[in-house]
Amino acid sequence: MFKFQDFDGKILALRAEMTGPVARIVTTRMSSMPEPIRLFYVSNVFRYSQSYVERGREFWQAGVELIGCNTSEADGEILSLLISSLRKLGLKEARVDVGHASLLKDLLKATGLDEEKKSILQNLLAYRDKARLEKFMDQNNFPSKLREAFLQFSCCRRLEEVSSVSLSSSKYGRADDHLRNLLEVKDVLADYGIENFVFFDFSLTRKIEYYTGMVFEASVPNLGLPLGGGGRYGDFIEKFGKLKLPATGFALEIEKCLQALTAQGFQIPEKTKTRILVSTKFRNNAIKVVNILRDAGVVALLDVTKSGEKKIMNYAKLAGIDYVVFVGSSLKKPAIVYDVGSDTSRKIMIETFLQSIGGQS
Amino acid sequence: MKREIRIAIPSKGRLKQPSIQVLQCAGIDILEEERAYISKTSDPRFEAIFARAFDIPVYVHYGAVDLGIAGHDLILEREADVHELLDLDFGKCQLVIATPENSAIDSINDIPAAAKVATEYPNLSRKYFEGLGKQVEILRVRGTSELAPKLGLAQIIVDVSSTGETLRKNNLKVIATILDSTCRLACNKIAYRTFENEINEFIGRLRQGGLK
Repeated sequence: MFKFQDFDGKILALRAEMTGPVARIVTTRMSSMPEPIRLFYVSNVFRYSQSYVERGREFWQAGVELIGCNTSEADGEILSLLISSLRKLGLKEARVDVGHASLLKDLLKATGLDEEKKSILQNLLAYRDKARLEKFMDQNNFPSKLREAFLQFSCCRRLEEVSSVSLSSSKYGRADDHLRNLLEVKDVLADYGIENFVFFDFSLTRKIEYYTGMVFEASVPNLGLPLGGGGRYGDFIEKFGKLKLPATGFALEIEKCLQALTAQGFQIPEKTKTRILVSTKFRNNAIKVVNILRDAGVVALLDVTKSGEKKIMNYAKLAGIDYVVFVGSSLKKPAIVYDVGSDTSRKIMIETFLQSIGGQS
Repeated sequence: MKREIRIAIPSKGRLKQPSIQVLQCAGIDILEEERAYISKTSDPRFEAIFARAFDIPVYVHYGAVDLGIAGHDLILEREADVHELLDLDFGKCQLVIATPENSAIDSINDIPAAAKVATEYPNLSRKYFEGLGKQVEILRVRGTSELAPKLGLAQIIVDVSSTGETLRKNNLKVIATILDSTCRLACNKIAYRTFENEINEFIGRLRQGGLK
């Protein structure tokens, strides 16, 4: 995080993500809003990046939060919104990998391993290497039921496969509740008809402390980094005030989405807006014409340099202007319109010209 | 989206030949080795990329390549968030702290405050000395850090050593070891999701081909 000091000695920081600011707004400004609250943002965030690709420190995120509800339907809504967002963007083969922060946490806790060994185990789960995982668990004398649970979870690739995992009535914290939550989310996804886009990754935690429930990441095969992700956070919002509000949400990294679209050969359409320059000779008429054009939604500029015809046309060519309009002494007479692209001029009434370029007079 | 799986291997140095042999273990021969940075292989599903060993972890992290053969030391130094799928068991080396043979610095306790340390591994060095609570000044050099003490640039170097030969030739003694390292098969995290079957098949072929 970028931190610096204010003149009064207080520490200021640039926001690195938006969930914190959203939690603050919800607790301080929206306490009388009925729950659930649905919010979205498109905002810049600031992070250090050592990438060769992204040299900037400012990134744009588009995200949503569903606050004040802890049902599987809320989790399902967020996942469905994420998947439809990715598809609306035009991304092909987008997928979402889902894990459960507390399910993994509770099972890891049940192992009784120290932090170092826990992180080795977490890596082994991510590598999906059954042989190495079995070896590690044998070396560390895992009880057979717990060993079986780890093996089964690490083999699951789809949420529906998780339903065959049995914790065989063993108590590992609240692992059975978390497993039930995942299976409920699976059913909600099936009702949305999006279960084919969703995969299961037992090792997924997203490295952010505040997640307590389902966590997920979105990706496409053409980009080596996640496009975004999110999850459920149960007790993060209460850190900002007295309100204890469960919430779930996601953020998409806009630059990464653009990168992925480009890698998939998507042509980002250029904005085409007609730009017109109006010569200042007969200034009162010129100003009238500029206003008519602007009212019609066209970008119109008045030549403030009072240059001659040749200079204006030259400027128009270099500055990417589409037309130059030379207004006469009377607006009742046709004006001369120079078409920069085709290098031709014609005499035409302003209203007719406007119609010809699709503006509304 | 069908595309080739890209695997990066070191373009020069002691790790290049063993890396090519690793691919051969999986039955993959490189077809246009000389001068081509991107080379087709005998298996149309795989493309080999020759890259600087130092950059391979970063390429894998950002998904510029799907797989890469990279030293564990460099994966840590470049802080690359990658899967280390296999320990390839070659490229054995140690990241060591060394001082000139005639230096009074014989152990880490002798290192004076604000000592100058020349290294290609600024991140790992900084973390190590911070862990000891020692304040040192780290000078980042590219290659041949052994030269730094001779030129009076630094009293201490942090560098990798496999046999100790280079250090001895340059009259340097090892006073501490920071890390033991070997080459790893590194994998991009997203690629391991998207191409899990292909990558696991590749690993299976490596094991069958005699890699332990």
